[in-house]
Amino acid sequence: MSERAKAFTNLFAAMGTLEKYVELVPEAKEVAKKANVTIRFKVKDGPDGIIVIQDGNIQVLEYDGRKANIVIACKTPEYFNKVVDGTVTPIPQLPGILKALKIMGKPESPFNVLTKGMTEVLRRTEFKNEEEKRITTILSFYTMVAGVAQVGNHDEIAQHAMKRMVDGEVSVGIRDVCYATLIKKDGKLTAVKQKSERPRAFMTFGDIDTAYGLISGQVDAMTCISKGTLETSGHMLMLDNVNKVLNRVPMYLK
Amino acid sequence: MTYTYNKNVQTMIRAGRVIPSGVYGHLGPAEGCMIPSSAYPFFAAKAKGAEIWDPDGNRFIDYMCAYGPNIQGYCDPDVDAAAIEQIKLGNCTTLPSTVMVDFAEYLTNLVHKDWAFFCKNGGDVTSFSIMISRYYTGKKKIIFVKNYYHGVAPWTQHPDTPGTLEDDCKHGLYVKFNDIEDLKRTIEANKDDIACFIATPYMHGNFVDNELPEEGYWKQVRELCTKYGIVMIIDDIRCGFRLSMEGSDRYFGFDADLITFCKALANGYNVSALCGKEFLKGAASTVPYTGSYWMSAVPFAAGLANLKKLVANNACQHFYDMGTRLTTGLEKAAKERNIPLKASGHPAMFYLRIQDELGNFRLHQEWVAECVKRGVFITNHHNHFICMAMTPAIIDETIAICTEGMDVLVRNHPEEFKK
Repeated sequence: MSERAKAFTNLFAAMGTLEKYVELVPEAKEVAKKANVTIRFKVKDGPDGIIVIQDGNIQVLEYDGRKANIVIACKTPEYFNKVVDGTVTPIPQLPGILKALKIMGKPESPFNVLTKGMTEVLRRTEFKNEEEKRITTILSFYTMVAGVAQVGNHDEIAQHAMKRMVDGEVSVGIRDVCYATLIKKDGKLTAVKQKSERPRAFMTFGDIDTAYGLISGQVDAMTCISKGTLETSGHMLMLDNVNKVLNRVPMYLK
Repeated sequence: MTYTYNKNVQTMIRAGRVIPSGVYGHLGPAEGCMIPSSAYPFFAAKAKGAEIWDPDGNRFIDYMCAYGPNIQGYCDPDVDAAAIEQIKLGNCTTLPSTVMVDFAEYLTNLVHKDWAFFCKNGGDVTSFSIMISRYYTGKKKIIFVKNYYHGVAPWTQHPDTPGTLEDDCKHGLYVKFNDIEDLKRTIEANKDDIACFIATPYMHGNFVDNELPEEGYWKQVRELCTKYGIVMIIDDIRCGFRLSMEGSDRYFGFDADLITFCKALANGYNVSALCGKEFLKGAASTVPYTGSYWMSAVPFAAGLANLKKLVANNACQHFYDMGTRLTTGLEKAAKERNIPLKASGHPAMFYLRIQDELGNFRLHQEWVAECVKRGVFITNHHNHFICMAMTPAIIDETIAICTEGMDVLVRNHPEEFKK
C-alpha cells in the first residue's frame, strides 16, 4: 500500500465525505455552523487540499490559492495519515494557531466532533432504524466513489486500470437515492457527487440494502446481478477498469 | 410475448451459494457480454443443432456456439458416435490410445505443420507456445497486439488484474494491429530480448469493431519475425476451422511457426492443440508440460470425426455464406429503420454494433436484449459464431426476430432514428 495514495484517499475521499455528512445529518450541520473556517492540509509529496466550512456547509477541495485560516503542514504523507488516524497531534502553523485551538484543539472542538461523528456513522454495523442504515450507506457510497478516483490516480497498480479507461463519464448510483459521477479526462479520474448528464457507463445499485450489502462485503455482486438488484450497462470496459480500481480501495479506507 | 427466466434465476441463486460467481468466466453474466443480465438465461437444459433450451423452456437460436466449440451443431450424430465408440474402447488410460497418433497425423497434414501437442484448453496451448518460444530463443519478451485475448494466465494479464503480480507482466510489449511501423519500432527497441510475437489472425477483440488485416500486413510481420529470430505464434483458438480448414495463417497467406487450436477442434469435446514447425519440435519435447486428462482418447476420436466431416462438407464456405446472409439481412433491416448497425470482422465470426453518439452502447445493448428475449442468443460486445447446423431457414428466422427487436428499439427511441 502506498502512503501517498492513502493520504490522497484520506483527504479527498474520507474527509471529503464531510460534505455529505453535514447535508444528511442535521446535528452535524449544527456543529459545522459553529466553525466558519478554511483549513488547509499541506502535505509534502502528497495532497494539498482545503476544507471550507461555511454556514453549516462543507466543501473539500484541492488547494486553489485561497487564504486559509488554519494551515497544517505535514512533512510526509505517512505523517498526515497518522494525523487522520489520530495517532499524531497536528501542529498548525503559527498565524492560525488560536483559531486552530478553537476549531480542532480538543476532542469537543467542532472539527473533531465532525470527523469523529462521521467515522462512527461510516463504521456502524448495527442500525436502530432504516434511516440510520440509509445514512451510513449513502455516506459509504460517496466515500467509495471518491476513493476510486483517488486510488485510481495515485496507487501504482490501480493506475494501470485507470489509464486504460477511455475518456468519459461513469454514472454510479443507488436507484432513486443518490448518484455520483466518475470522470476520466486528461489521464486522471475525478469524482463528482452529482448525477452524470452524459454517461458512457452505468453501475446502479437497486436499493439501499443492495448498496449496503455490496459496499460492506456482505453480499456478492453476482447474486445481485442475477437477482437484478445491481445493474451494469453501457461501456463495460470502463466498468471493468473501475472495478479493478475498486478492488484496491478497501485497503486504503480501513 | 417475450421470455421470462424464473427457473434460471432460482438456479443462479443456488449456484451463487456453492460456486464462485455462480457462473464464473466467459459463460457468466459478470463478464460483461450479457447486458442487461435480466434479458438473458443463465443455464441450458438441452441443446441440439443450432438451438439451446433453458430451464424455463425458452428456445434460442444460439450464435455464441458455446463461444466457439459448437461448429457442427450441438449433439452432432457423427461426432458423438465416434466419441461413444471410443468410450467403449477406453478413454483415460495408462497408455495413450493410438487414436492420438491418428488425430495428430490428420491434423498436422490438414494445417501444414510438422507436429501437434495436445492439451485441454486454449490457455494451455497459448501458455505452452510462450514457454517453447522462450526456451528456444533464450529470450524473455512477448509482443502482444493490443485488444488481444490469449487466455487468463498471468502472462496475458495486466498488473491490476486480481491474482496477477507486476512481475508477471514485465516482459510484455504491446503494438497496434495493422501498424507495421509500430511493430518495427518495438522490435528495434527490444531486439535483443524478444522471444515471440503472438496474435490472432485478425483483430477480433471485444468491445471494438473487428478489424481484418490490411494487404501485406502479415507478409511484413512474417519477414520481421524471421529476420530477428522471433517465434511467430498465431492464436487460432477462436478462428481456427471457421475461416479455413488449413489454419488461419494459410487463409491470410503466411506461415506461422506455432499455431494454437481449441474451440472448434472437436465440436465440444475437450481438446486443444499446439501445432508447429520442425525446428521447434525439440523445444516442445523438452519443456515439461502435461496434465491428467491431456491424452484422453474420446476427444481425439471426436476431433478426428469432426475435422473429417468439416472437410467433407466444405464447412468454411457454409460459414461464410450463412454469416454473409445474416449480416446482410440485419444491415438491410437496420438501414430501412435508420438504425446505424455495423457488422465487422469475418462473416463466419461477425461482430455487431449499433453506433451511438455518446459511445455508451446503450442502444445496442437494448436491441440485443430485445433479440435475446425473443429467442436469438447474441451477446453485446463479443464476436458471434456460425455453425454447420445454421441453415438458410434458421438465418431468415433470426433476421425476422432481430428485425422485431429493431422495431421495439425504434418505438422506444423515435427521436434517435428519425429519417
